Amino acid sequence: MSKYIPTIGIEVHVELKTNTKIFSNSVNGYGQMANSLTNVIDLGYPGTLPTLNEEVINLGIKAATVLNCKIRREMNFDRKNYFYPDNPKNFQITQNATPIGYDGYVEIDDNGEKKKIYIEEMHIEEDTCKSTHRADKTLLDFNRAGVPLIEIVTKPCISTPEEAKLYLEKLKELLFYTDVSDCKMEEGSMRADANISLRKSESDPLGTKVEIKNIGSISNVKLSLEKEMARQEEMLDKGEEFKEQTRRFDSKLNDTVLMRVKETGNDYRYFPEPDIPTVIITDEMINSVKKTIPMLPDERREKYLELGLSEINAKKIVQNRSLSDYFNCLLDSNINHQTGANLLLGDISEYLNKHEKSITDTTLTKERFIELVNKITDKTISSKNLKDILSKVMEETSSIEEIIKSSNISNITDTSKIEEVIDNIISANPESVSDYKNGHDRAIKFLMGQVMKETHGGVNPAIAMSILKDKLDK
Amino acid sequence: MRYLDKPIKEINDLLKEKKIKPIDLVNEAFDSIEKNKNLNAYITLNKEEAIKRAKELEDVDADNILFGLPIAVKDNMMTEGLRTTAASGILKDFVPIYDAAVVEKIKEANMIIVGKTNMDEFAMGSSSRTSYFGAPKNPWNNDKISGGSSGGSATTVASGDVLFALGSDTGGSIRQPSSYCGLVGMKPTYGTVSRWGLIAFASSLDQIGPMTKNVYNNALILNLISGHDSRDLTSSKKEKEDYTRLIGKDISGMKVAVPNYFMSDIVSDEVKEKIEDTLKILEKAGVQIDRVDMKYLDNAVNLYQIIAMGEASSNLARFDGIRYGSSVDDTTNIYELYTKTRAKYFGEEVKRRIMVGSYLLSGENAKIYYNKALSIRDDIKKEFDRIFKEYDFVIGPTTVTTAYNLDDPMDDPSKSFMDDVLVIPVNMAGLPGLNIPVGLSKEKMPIGMHIIGNRFEEAKMYQLASFLEKEINFEGGM
Amino acid sequence: MKDKLTKEEVLHVADLARIEVTEEEIEKYQVQLKQLLNDVEKVNDVVGYDDEIMVAPWDDNTTLREDVSGEMLDPKKVVENAPNHTGNYIAVPVVIGENESEGA
Repeated sequence: MSKYIPTIGIEVHVELKTNTKIFSNSVNGYGQMANSLTNVIDLGYPGTLPTLNEEVINLGIKAATVLNCKIRREMNFDRKNYFYPDNPKNFQITQNATPIGYDGYVEIDDNGEKKKIYIEEMHIEEDTCKSTHRADKTLLDFNRAGVPLIEIVTKPCISTPEEAKLYLEKLKELLFYTDVSDCKMEEGSMRADANISLRKSESDPLGTKVEIKNIGSISNVKLSLEKEMARQEEMLDKGEEFKEQTRRFDSKLNDTVLMRVKETGNDYRYFPEPDIPTVIITDEMINSVKKTIPMLPDERREKYLELGLSEINAKKIVQNRSLSDYFNCLLDSNINHQTGANLLLGDISEYLNKHEKSITDTTLTKERFIELVNKITDKTISSKNLKDILSKVMEETSSIEEIIKSSNISNITDTSKIEEVIDNIISANPESVSDYKNGHDRAIKFLMGQVMKETHGGVNPAIAMSILKDKLDK
Repeated sequence: MRYLDKPIKEINDLLKEKKIKPIDLVNEAFDSIEKNKNLNAYITLNKEEAIKRAKELEDVDADNILFGLPIAVKDNMMTEGLRTTAASGILKDFVPIYDAAVVEKIKEANMIIVGKTNMDEFAMGSSSRTSYFGAPKNPWNNDKISGGSSGGSATTVASGDVLFALGSDTGGSIRQPSSYCGLVGMKPTYGTVSRWGLIAFASSLDQIGPMTKNVYNNALILNLISGHDSRDLTSSKKEKEDYTRLIGKDISGMKVAVPNYFMSDIVSDEVKEKIEDTLKILEKAGVQIDRVDMKYLDNAVNLYQIIAMGEASSNLARFDGIRYGSSVDDTTNIYELYTKTRAKYFGEEVKRRIMVGSYLLSGENAKIYYNKALSIRDDIKKEFDRIFKEYDFVIGPTTVTTAYNLDDPMDDPSKSFMDDVLVIPVNMAGLPGLNIPVGLSKEKMPIGMHIIGNRFEEAKMYQLASFLEKEINFEGGM
Repeated sequence: MKDKLTKEEVLHVADLARIEVTEEEIEKYQVQLKQLLNDVEKVNDVVGYDDEIMVAPWDDNTTLREDVSGEMLDPKKVVENAPNHTGNYIAVPVVIGENESEGA
């Protein structure tokens, strides 16, 4: 263990999943032709004024709710003034004095130990435009300018890089599940900054703060914090002092790199945005947003465990929202849920991945899925059978029963045919038969193997076994 | 006699009966503009387009009273395809790609825009002398200023080029030049007219309004340009009303408060006397006149300086030479692009104000100055609310003197604010204010009375103003 | 009350406002800006007002906009007014030192 205690705080920006931008009605989109998703407002043209997107407020309320924040009922926007070419008005409209959410928390599970990560505040603001740096100039694409963001700021209450990672995973899961954001770090729709300081004991004042900006993935947040801890420890051990500074994580160097040393506090000259009157959040708005919040991941996992799923399966299903939503439709149906989960995570997932489909793009309705699970449970279909008929199950609309019939599978469930095969095997292996009768359990497994071999695995093993036993025990 | 000199109803009848065409009016307007060229009322003329539009309208019925009439627009309102400069070097070649809300309404009514009027750079000033394009002159005396910041609009209406011009008023910029040029000028209640497309100077104070020679025409333009606009969140959702409806109605029994500060020794004797004379006319007509004390009026200029300069420093940050506007092109880094562009293309007054504004918002100053200003601002409004519980209007002079000389020194940075000392409180409280000319000075320069109404009581203000207009018969003065 | 700002104070506000100032201008602004600051200093003498603030004389609270997209500009129009552009991009001198804006 290190002799220093780290204090970590995380700031996350997520882009909200809306049709249009926060202060204008141009499209909120990604990956389009440069400067094709803009209007005069996004470009900060003289004379333009902001309007406020209703959906941004709804998603803000939603995020605040799932992050257990208090929701501010009367709020304003503020101008944050700074010159930068990606900032079209040279001020950003944000919420400084009255953030929409405050005093919240997210619960993480660190190896079975539950901990609350406290959220100081979350506010709504506009994104900047995207800059591309060339050797001789910087190119500006304003498609991202005005995309709605929420910034979520934790209290400095995170104690380890691992906790930081768990917090981000949890945050991402919550915001993704509630459709607040895509949370794609690789596309920049979720961005994280971390700050960290070290001290020797809880009673010491906080150490010098270092901020790590714009880290590209959750695992890199953990890694960069570990690297930064090591770097600071080394300096503190040597008695070296360092200034408050901003660094970034260089994934090629696998280390943090200095961006700038903070000279004085940034002077953003905040003042209330006069162009946006007070925004009132009513009970009605909050209630109607709450109705749109689906079952959250923690509750899902709990439900799945109650239904007898293994922990790993419960976790895996929740990791895939469309599978989980699908599975949730089956919670009350009378099926073997473990079998259902295995099926979804096994053959079906494999099929979906291979065909790049979502389960809702297939013909596997809830009713057909239930039928399929039951046929597997009562051993009408073996795993080999399933592989053979899977494409029909996923692409055709006839019942599973009919698919079984029209495939060769129905022949092999024909008991007279199985009996014929078994009779032949019994007469060809008298030694094993007498071994079985003398109590050697292994013998029946050998005989069963012969049956499978003879039928090329196409027989329903349960049915075959019961016939075999019947005949041997005669 | 020109058609443009006839009463508006007559002009409209002639158009309806197709006895005259819009082009006749447009030609009269441009003949006059040409004759008055030396007054420098315009930054950009729209002659070709105006003639084209007038000809197109020959096949269109005169379906409203403003149909086919020429109008001038202050150069801080966006006109698509027509250069809009805000009288600044930084926008000297800027051609907008959209129309301001008021411009849309002008076009919908089939009015014809003759040009963009001269003004103080970004509406910062009180004499229009901070214009990149040189100052407009006062038609009453060409050695005098026409006021500011809507100086060009005042000049062109006062000289008879057009019947109407739009101005904008952040701290008196419609009313003060109207006073100096003998016009009716209305700064409506904040939120009455959409600011969409108005280049922001101080967003919480700016409001567009009409400048005309008579009350009725003024109310007609307010009828046109008022109304809710969802693109401006500060635009009021009040239903549209007919602002002409009370014109000419009896005013007896109305109650007027005259704050002592407005008649104190900050006002010249000559102006005070004329206002006193006018108050007597009102008293004779059965209006009750009371002298009152009002708190905070003498603080309004300082509050205005803080709020207007603070907001302006932020509103004008967007002029950085990147997305539009003038730009210094031989810079090697972004910091220089900003500092050199803004140093070269902003004028003195603008630079001073945005530097001070930036300072007032920086660090602890936001608390020491800005928040305090917003707090006292709220109390100014409450003070007016208190008065309006008992009175219909608050009245005083619009300006402390008549228009001064164009060549008076400009080196006192406080002067441009002090010129507006009597009109600024109205913007602070978001109230409507109107200038009505009430007479001439010994030097034959116009003197104006300032009528302040309660929120959204413009119709009643026109009622009172129309009474004075009839009694004083100012229009024949020049 | 001193009647002049220091040179450093003028340079600081000029930096905040991103305006280059010459030596001559600095001298002028030392006096002029100080005069304006002396003007506004007077608000500190005002007494008797309450804590409520007025940001703007708003008539209503904000009405939210429906999340429905509207017309957008042709990228050609976007770059048309820009002093410098490369293809569909607006161009500025290379921004060195920092990769991302301070703000977001």
